[in-house]
Amino acid sequence: MLEIILGTACLILAGVAVVAHLSAKRARTRVIELSADLEKMQSTQSQVIHTTKLASLGQMIAGVAHEMNTPIGFVKSNVEVVRELMNEHRVLVGKCVQGFDMMLAADLARPESAAAIRRTLSKVRNALANDARLPDADELLKDSVDGLVQIANLVKNLKGFARVDSDGMDLLDLNECVESALTIAAHQLRDRIDVVKELGNLPKIHGIASQINQVLLNLITNAGQAMEDGGKLSLISRRAGDMVEVEVSDTGKGIPDKILPKIFDPFFTTKPVGEGTGLGLSIVHKIVQGHGGTIKVRTTPEKGSSFTISFPVDHALLKQPA
Amino acid sequence: MTMSEPQIRVLFIDDEARILRALKALFRDCEVYATVDPAEAIRLARVHDVDVVVCDQRMPKMQGVEVLREIRLAHPRCMRVLLTGYADLNAVLGSVNEGEVFRYVSKPWDNNELRGIVRLAAKISRDTPVVLDKPVEERDREQARRQVGILVIEDNAETQQRMREILQPHYQVRFVTSPERALQVLEQHETGVIISETAGQHGDFTALIKTLKQYHPHIATVVVTDRANAQVAIDLINEGQVFRLLLKPVRMGSCRLSVDAAVGRYWQLKQNPQAARRYFVAPSPDALIPTWLAGSLLQRIRLLPSRLLGIARAH
Repeated sequence: MLEIILGTACLILAGVAVVAHLSAKRARTRVIELSADLEKMQSTQSQVIHTTKLASLGQMIAGVAHEMNTPIGFVKSNVEVVRELMNEHRVLVGKCVQGFDMMLAADLARPESAAAIRRTLSKVRNALANDARLPDADELLKDSVDGLVQIANLVKNLKGFARVDSDGMDLLDLNECVESALTIAAHQLRDRIDVVKELGNLPKIHGIASQINQVLLNLITNAGQAMEDGGKLSLISRRAGDMVEVEVSDTGKGIPDKILPKIFDPFFTTKPVGEGTGLGLSIVHKIVQGHGGTIKVRTTPEKGSSFTISFPVDHALLKQPA
Repeated sequence: MTMSEPQIRVLFIDDEARILRALKALFRDCEVYATVDPAEAIRLARVHDVDVVVCDQRMPKMQGVEVLREIRLAHPRCMRVLLTGYADLNAVLGSVNEGEVFRYVSKPWDNNELRGIVRLAAKISRDTPVVLDKPVEERDREQARRQVGILVIEDNAETQQRMREILQPHYQVRFVTSPERALQVLEQHETGVIISETAGQHGDFTALIKTLKQYHPHIATVVVTDRANAQVAIDLINEGQVFRLLLKPVRMGSCRLSVDAAVGRYWQLKQNPQAARRYFVAPSPDALIPTWLAGSLLQRIRLLPSRLLGIARAH
């Protein structure tokens, strides 16, 4: 009897042990699954950052191509036209030279020949003196120099935006990032939006330039989209204690209270299906956090929104001589 | 320009003053008007009776396509050219469907090419009567229906079915799936409107559409496509003077409106064949004609009997 009881107890214990073992194993499996999920999520997230980076690269190329075609258009045309003007002008100069040659070769002792030469010479002289081609060419060349400077600046900003030379942590100037992002977004804004910049003197911060640019491009593009019928985009940078901050404000439609808490959630979007991934602001949030910064939003429906991103200034940096 | 011809009057519209100065210098042998203000442009076009207007697309107050549409209504004689730095598909579609542009030119432009386009456009604008946009009038409708066929080049069965539903009650519609079959229909029936995809399962249709326009400019082409691409669309304007460009899915309203307008256009050109020169495109150089088209098909396109085209041959 006792044996039976003991036996049963043993069996029960064994059963409990097996169950305990199994559930522990299951728990372990669960843990492993969870960390796999986490890894998967992290890799998805970095993929998402990469994809949106590619998307902003596409946006950048389209934008800059458009911005460049205008100056390239008039510079190219002007240079060709100036060449034509110079050739036409050269013909006039040639006639004048011919006139001088005649004068030099002429026998000025004979007054009637001198008078004829005088007449011819004064005609070609006047044609040359009144020729508008040189001042026209000068104006076209002046425009062309402006155009080339504009193209050079675009290329500079393009390089600054993409930062193909470095994808790691760098010392960077937030104002430069603002300028770069603004160049890239210009073709989306130019038609209808006034841009106001108040960029203060800022210490540099540690960061990944291409990511900060992506953040700013995203905020600027969103601001532009909030002002479909035009408005004012303000970009203000300033130092605030231990932080530097950039404020991107629009005079657009604002964000309704009920969706405000969700705007940084992944996949939350107010755009129709197929437009926008809903990842923009969640990526912005993630990048800012990754830089030890914060993002704040203030919004008034029908008045506009204002996003402020702040990043810590490295004190060690401030002590170093510039 | 010869002495006997009066100066070409051309109007340039761009929000960038330096572009306007460049164009003024480039067209210094013409009577040039230039403005950054679209509203002013519409007035200038009419008041100065300009021959050609060249307009930028992206401008702050009004998009180029809108400006051209307004000018088309206010001053229909003037030929329209869009000059743009950005090939945005919507702008290209608008320039066809609303602006009915003669050419779509990209910045940076080629000086000689742009001069050539403006000169040709000005000559056409002065020498060629205008046909107004209007559908076939009520009293002619039955006659038009009997005489004028519509050819649909499309190998998607679903789209064919949709077009049949929309058009069959009002027009004689014939469906084909290949260029070869299209030619057979054109040889046998008077055809006023061709509706076509840009390509089928077995290849491209655009070369056929362009070549037909080059030799028979009075046939109106409506391209209906789901292979939307800005460059293909630009080429269809510049080499094929396409009448309307629609995106799939085919919608009853826009399809009906476009085809009615196209039949109206054909009907007007039939009464007034010289006006077809407004839709002139030069034949493609031989090197650019695909081999499947270059041989007997091209010959057959050239020889399409004018009897079946319903008008006296213009050239």
